[in-house]
Amino acid sequence: MNKIFFFLSGFKEGMRQFGQTISIIINSGLLLIVYFIGIGFTSIIAKLFHKHFLDTDLSKNEKSYWTDLNLKKKSIKEYYKQF
Amino acid sequence: MYILGISCYYHDSSAALLKDGIIVAAAQEERFTRKKHDTTFPINAIKFCLEHQLITINEIDYIGFYEKPLIKFERVLSQHIEAFPLSIKTFLSSLPSWINEKLRVTREVKKKLKYKKGVLFVEHHLAHAASCFLISPFKKAAILTIDGVGEWTTTTWGIGEGKEIQLNKEIKFPHSLGLLYSAITAYLGFSVNNSEYKVMGLSPYGLMDRTKNIYYEKLKKVIDIKDDGSYRLNMNYFVYYYKDKMPSKKLCQLLDGSIRTKDSEITQRHKDIAAAVQLIYEDVLFKMLNHVYREIKCENIVIAGGCGLNSVANGKILNNTPFKNIWLQPDPSDGGTSIGVASYIYHTILGNERDFVLNNAYLGPSFSTSEIKSFLEKNKIKYSKVKDNKELINITAQLIHKDNVIGWFQGRMEWGPRALGARSILSNACNPKMQEILNLKVKHREKFRPFAPVVCNNDAQKYFKCDKPIPLPTDFMLMVYQIKKRWHKKIPSVTHVDGSGRLQTIRKEQNPLYYELIKKFGKLSGIPILINTSFNIRGEPIVCTPGDAYKCMMGTGIDYLVMDKFLIKREDNPQDMWNSEKYAKD
Repeated sequence: MNKIFFFLSGFKEGMRQFGQTISIIINSGLLLIVYFIGIGFTSIIAKLFHKHFLDTDLSKNEKSYWTDLNLKKKSIKEYYKQF
Repeated sequence: MYILGISCYYHDSSAALLKDGIIVAAAQEERFTRKKHDTTFPINAIKFCLEHQLITINEIDYIGFYEKPLIKFERVLSQHIEAFPLSIKTFLSSLPSWINEKLRVTREVKKKLKYKKGVLFVEHHLAHAASCFLISPFKKAAILTIDGVGEWTTTTWGIGEGKEIQLNKEIKFPHSLGLLYSAITAYLGFSVNNSEYKVMGLSPYGLMDRTKNIYYEKLKKVIDIKDDGSYRLNMNYFVYYYKDKMPSKKLCQLLDGSIRTKDSEITQRHKDIAAAVQLIYEDVLFKMLNHVYREIKCENIVIAGGCGLNSVANGKILNNTPFKNIWLQPDPSDGGTSIGVASYIYHTILGNERDFVLNNAYLGPSFSTSEIKSFLEKNKIKYSKVKDNKELINITAQLIHKDNVIGWFQGRMEWGPRALGARSILSNACNPKMQEILNLKVKHREKFRPFAPVVCNNDAQKYFKCDKPIPLPTDFMLMVYQIKKRWHKKIPSVTHVDGSGRLQTIRKEQNPLYYELIKKFGKLSGIPILINTSFNIRGEPIVCTPGDAYKCMMGTGIDYLVMDKFLIKREDNPQDMWNSEKYAKD
């Protein structure tokens, strides 16, 4: 009885690990597609048009790097949004 | 009305519960899961909050989350687009958690808590601002928030008045003072989002003279600082926006060597670099604060964000700026935003007046005398019980005076990263060998790191060059001050190499037992100052339960554990096989 239980629990664990491995492979494949098609394509187009998604420029001429935020209370509905 | 604030999925998950505007319970998830800086959904912290008030999740009126996930996700995608194809590794490693958890906060809350209403999302730096202003003693104050990064923002300033907060200006990612400090932390071989305080502790060993420290000049090349304290980083020196490490090869070249490996020797160069980044941080901070004062024209300042834990800089603020009063809450870092978001919902969004000030940090779980007795009996632990608090204080003070190391476990656990007399290790600050003893027997931490002193607030001015009056954040161990020179040799174990001490002041009304213990020790030793260090070993969260405390004592060189009215002597009990040295991490 113990041997059967031991076998079944080992089998179950093995299947779990197998499932995890398969899911990592599929996820990685899908993410690679998203990365090269979604991110890559957007990045190339952006570079062609000199569009930058991060502002990394330094300017000795600018007096200040502070930018306007004006973040204050909004209506409660706005806070239910994740953006 | 009950409001629950939640902070999770980045670092230091936490939950806080407000009842009619009063913070009734708050804790970090790490204390329950025993995983330092735990990032997971704070289910245990939430359970504690609900159990503390004997309520169910259905009685919660609002739940708030500490950031806007979609805006943060936009920033993450922007990083990947900008850095394509260099960011592939971080994209593959980080995106699954975004898909499974971070973009599904409402679903996770409903699923894990069986909560039926919606979740409110407050901008990260607004949650920081609320976490310091709305529970401060000020009706009006200037606000400064500085951290690694929130959604896009890394630094903001604004004003709080009554129950309203307005953040006027910001600095956006990738420019971040917090990330500059973290990058140097990584360069010096310490862990990011964990060991920045070690860099702060290392800095006095380096050259703190701006004219002599060559790395100060070198580091000024990586940051462009304007007169108003605004700044930008030269991103050629950093790779954190697309890699899982922070300094670039160019930064290594600038600092004359590669990234220090964890176990290698800390040289004078490393110490000078630590000093340089601390000096740069202070330069920017004071310029910023002076600018904020000019704009806001208010004598009160509240500060939040992870950089608020830089107690060395905090202790210099009132001397270097026109501000007269300063406030930080016990956990200014991301953990503290759960309090911020809950307070923001109650006061600012719902319009309720403020009448609560956070005067102490004891917001966590406590254990009754019967619960502790039951634990001791069940585990066949030998103990003695004192008859009252007076006897407890007398015995403990004598044990400390005889150079014993005491695990002090009393009342509700502290909120925030510091042990403040509820889950503390206490010892004799007058013994010159105590730093070494504590390091070898208990804490297993780097020799350069000093231990912190605790002193009753009415004795502090005698021993420390504090601001007058002593700022309230000193109660939360968030201000470093110089120890008066004549006491350096009298309390060597808490005197850092530059003569400073990261003191905690304690007021009688905050924790009478702790206060009386220090006073009693003062009567025995002549100096009412104890070493107060967190009740844990390196790399572990501070203990939460009697079981954690007992395990920590038995695995280390703590001589006695004082839990409630129970005194447990390590020698009287069988030594555990638990080897704390083995478990000590960064």
